[in-house]
Amino acid sequence: MLEMGGEKPIYIQIAEWLENEIIDGTLKADDKVYSQYQLAELFNINPATAGKGLTILLDAELIYKKRGLGTFVSSNAREKLLSKRKDFTLRRLVRELLDEANLLGIEKEQLYRLIESERKGRA
Amino acid sequence: MEVITFRDVTKKYRSLKVLDQVTLDIRQNVITGVVGRNGAGKTTLMKMIAGFTKESSGELRVFGERPFNSLDVSANMIFVDDRMGFPDALKLGDILVECDRFYENWDDELAKRLLEYFQLPLTFKHRVLSKGKRSTFNAVIGIASRCPLTMFDEPITGMDVAARRDFYRALLKDYIAHPRTILLSSHHMEEMEDLLEDILLIDGKDIGFHGPIVDLQEKFLSLQGKANVLETYATRYAIVHRSMAGPLTEWIVDNEHTEAELNDLRQAGIRVATVTASDAYLAMTGQTKGGVDDVFNAMER
Repeated sequence: MLEMGGEKPIYIQIAEWLENEIIDGTLKADDKVYSQYQLAELFNINPATAGKGLTILLDAELIYKKRGLGTFVSSNAREKLLSKRKDFTLRRLVRELLDEANLLGIEKEQLYRLIESERKGRA
Repeated sequence: MEVITFRDVTKKYRSLKVLDQVTLDIRQNVITGVVGRNGAGKTTLMKMIAGFTKESSGELRVFGERPFNSLDVSANMIFVDDRMGFPDALKLGDILVECDRFYENWDDELAKRLLEYFQLPLTFKHRVLSKGKRSTFNAVIGIASRCPLTMFDEPITGMDVAARRDFYRALLKDYIAHPRTILLSSHHMEEMEDLLEDILLIDGKDIGFHGPIVDLQEKFLSLQGKANVLETYATRYAIVHRSMAGPLTEWIVDNEHTEAELNDLRQAGIRVATVTASDAYLAMTGQTKGGVDDVFNAMER
């Protein structure tokens, strides 16, 4: 995974925005999704870029197409997104933790003890 | 479908080659940003497409025709720049009447509404307009003509921030409603990049890059870190551009790394990041590897 310099590419921002709309329930299962032209208007971007954002969700089967009617939210989209985000975000944080530990020269056992003591502190 | 095709097109002014054996296709209804350093040949390329100037050799086709002296191309094309000539005697309102006569898809209501919005009274004469107002007027003509091929060469010269934003928005809205092939050259790439689908980068008489803007962005990565740490990797990467980012050194490098290599860099304390399309453009067109810093460094020695 890459860190984004300044900004993420717009089509990825669009995809993430749509994902957030699904996660927070603004877009529910079988709701109609914005067309690429509506997204282009809304975000002031080229329609082809908006289309690329939609393609990401289509490829992940988070949305589906109905011929001549438009694009709709898949029934399991929200669950899929939640598990994806958990896996992805947590992994990224762990990687950052390991980088920092490495920089500070902290050994494996010391790191485990640190995590364990934090965890106990919450319980 | 291609609206514009170049096959080994060369353009010379006397003995000076401005474009050398250019081959490219512009697809229908795509907005392409034409970018490049001053004097790279952007205007020449667009003027050839417009039929204002003749190719020296090679084959150039616009709507399947050779554009030079073609009435067909003229009727279906508009070329907007800050030297757009209108007769001195005509008022802005008179110019609209002439546009209505010449351009088949002209939208008179849109033109008038936009001029009113931008506070350009129809009774004014074109030559008394300020630089920014003149650019705005010309841009309105470019939008309202709805030509199948619409070219803007540095359309925002002199426009203030608000006018520029309004122009980009108006162009996008009208494009969504009435798709057409648009070429847009500007030095303000960071402002217009959201509007674009493709980028055509002209670099030293040649096409440096032509394709989706996202692909340009994904060609490169930025590596940031302490100079001495980065230097240990100098042989491993193709460095396109070096610069100083505050106390750190930044390299723009070709984006060809395995995940393992990237992790290796991160563990050495190097920040690995994506670049913006404008950064990619700057990296590709920086004439020396060290940028303008090289000039000052050479003088200090």
